[in-house]
Amino acid sequence: MQSTLFWAAVTAYAVATALGIAGFAFSRERWLAAGRWVGLGGLLPHAGAIALRWVEVGHGPYNTRYEVLSAQAFLLVAAFGVIALVSRHLRSLGAFVMPMAFLLMGFGVATFDTRREVPIIFKSWWLILHIGFAKLFGVTVALAAICAGAYLWKRRRPGSLQRLPDPPRLDLYAHQFLLSAFLFLGVMVAAGALWANQSWGRYWGWDPIETTSLVTWIAFGVILHFRVLHRWEGARMAWLTLLAFAFALVTLYVVAVMVPTIHNSYMVGP
Amino acid sequence: MIWRLLRSAAFARAILIYLALFGGAGAWAPWTQAEGGPAPAWASTLWLDHPFSSPWFLAGVAALFASTFACTWGRRARIAGLRRGVLPPGAVTLAGDEGPLRRFLAAQGFRGDGAVLHRFGTALWAGWVLHVGLLVLIAGVFAQQALYDQGTFILTEGELKQLAQPDAILMRERGRLGPVDPPDLAVALEAFDPTRKQPGYAPDRLSELRVFKADGAVVADTLDRAHGIEVDGVEIYQGIRSGLSVVLDVRGMGPRAVVLQERHHREAAAEVLDLRGRPVRFVVTTERDLHDVSGTGRTLIRLEHGSQELLLSPEAPFDFGGTQAKVTGLRRWGSFSYARSPGMPAVHLGFVLILAGCALLVLPAGVAVIESAGGRTEARVQLQRGRDLLEADWQASTTEPG
Ligand code: HEM
Repeated sequence: MQSTLFWAAVTAYAVATALGIAGFAFSRERWLAAGRWVGLGGLLPHAGAIALRWVEVGHGPYNTRYEVLSAQAFLLVAAFGVIALVSRHLRSLGAFVMPMAFLLMGFGVATFDTRREVPIIFKSWWLILHIGFAKLFGVTVALAAICAGAYLWKRRRPGSLQRLPDPPRLDLYAHQFLLSAFLFLGVMVAAGALWANQSWGRYWGWDPIETTSLVTWIAFGVILHFRVLHRWEGARMAWLTLLAFAFALVTLYVVAVMVPTIHNSYMVGP
Repeated sequence: MIWRLLRSAAFARAILIYLALFGGAGAWAPWTQAEGGPAPAWASTLWLDHPFSSPWFLAGVAALFASTFACTWGRRARIAGLRRGVLPPGAVTLAGDEGPLRRFLAAQGFRGDGAVLHRFGTALWAGWVLHVGLLVLIAGVFAQQALYDQGTFILTEGELKQLAQPDAILMRERGRLGPVDPPDLAVALEAFDPTRKQPGYAPDRLSELRVFKADGAVVADTLDRAHGIEVDGVEIYQGIRSGLSVVLDVRGMGPRAVVLQERHHREAAAEVLDLRGRPVRFVVTTERDLHDVSGTGRTLIRLEHGSQELLLSPEAPFDFGGTQAKVTGLRRWGSFSYARSPGMPAVHLGFVLILAGCALLVLPAGVAVIESAGGRTEARVQLQRGRDLLEADWQASTTEPG
């Protein structure tokens, strides 16, 4: 049952991705709308798959690559659903969101069968803050990157995708999402330090993933400075936002997979 | 001149990029990673074996502090002025009739009915709060580094240890201004289970401790690796390492725990000096793995001295350097650490300010000043972001039919 629900969600995101790409390529708003609905429909089976796994292993989705990435994809699509409800302007961004969700699911599926008990240090409220904000950070930085990508697309082809906001508004949304990501990353780092102190008696150990998160936070600060102090905007800022996204991917996933750190467990898998 | 340099955006950018690059390289350097091995000789020569306590890094942090301080200095008055309606030259000017202008600004989230309107007025302080938070955090970390004190110790089940007694603390680190002596506490390990299964979690250590304060008061608590216990400003934490101890009763001296180190998965040993000062070795071999969740099974205890070997039976007396002793038991030992962190309140305050600043930054703050002169009304608006869009939206709203 769990795997049926999971595959139903993957299929929904895959179909939504195909409809979104086709909608973009042929400038068909209806296909984009259909893709959006199919993708958002995938949330239902996806929620079921996550809930069943939660009940089965007795802990939230934060201990193996499958659990982490599947929850991240769910939150990304759900956040997009909320944004699409609130702002009509941003609905067409679904065409960028669904491929990301599909890729996350694809990266996670290899460890679908891995189940691990959580270590005792996970018995902490800081963990919930740390992990919750890490996920929110992932979602908001992805949305910033999506707005920046859409900005670059719209600037090159001004006539395409009439329903997408104008480039200056996309630029503003990207800035706004990047600021939210900066806040969420800050909470993630601070909660992580307080959690480390609670269980190990040290706040900061310069572990590669701790250091990388701090570097990413500083990099976000530099990027935001370019906007405020040097008045950068438009295409240059869009590229810098994509760079911020790359930093976020390295912090959230690449280091945990490639470098031996105390944080490997959340991305375990073959 | 130096002040001007410190206040410049270019200097701040250079320092931040320097710290980011240094941090990135430090994170990926093999010798800073778990089981990464020792630093190469060239890194030690350049003081880079511990990159984040090297002069290169500390100088960068000091420069960041100086630059942030210089940039923050004087901003408070400017922001207070901005709140009162003293706008900088870059503010946008919207011209039109007062009624539509006020309605437009209200629709954009500006509140107030006087000459000065605000949108998320408190959020004008965002940048200031964030940068002050950075200063507090950096100062707090330096204070903590100067004042901290921490150490590790080992306790065998049933043992009571005065932390301040010589040799009680195995590894001690303290800041330059940290306390000279370890804490005046005695800690007893009442019970210890290295593989206790708590519901929902993988098996891990669990200890029952009694901590005796200098005034004789006792604090009893259970301890696992999820969180420490605090007694009089000293936090005690459960460590990972554990093993077996041979507990001896030496005539006239009372109980004494010999802490054994694992030699391989079914053998542990320790070399100690007997009461004549000769090196002797206690060796324990076990039926099952030393860390087996179901226990070690049958055990054999040997005492080795040179080529002589003696099998020790529980409660049977043996010669321990001219004095009689007997083995009273084989128990578990666990590792623990203590920490005193007097600088942490400042660090916490820094965290709180930084996060409050970041949270305020998310709110799109703005100030609008409505000025009427000669029958013309203008709104001058200062926004944290989206000034051009506001102007465009106003133009669109004035040209919209109806
Ligand atoms: C780790 C260090 C720093 C971080 C993370 C940081 C971060 C930030 C952020 C996120 C903003 C707001 C950007 C926005 O509104 O979109 C900002 C604004 C600003 N920063 Fe920094 N900053 C740092 C150090 C500095 C330094 C050293 C200077 C000195 C030049 C500086 C000067 C400013 C100024 C003048 C502003 C704009 C005004 C304001 O909002 O108060 N910052 N900074």
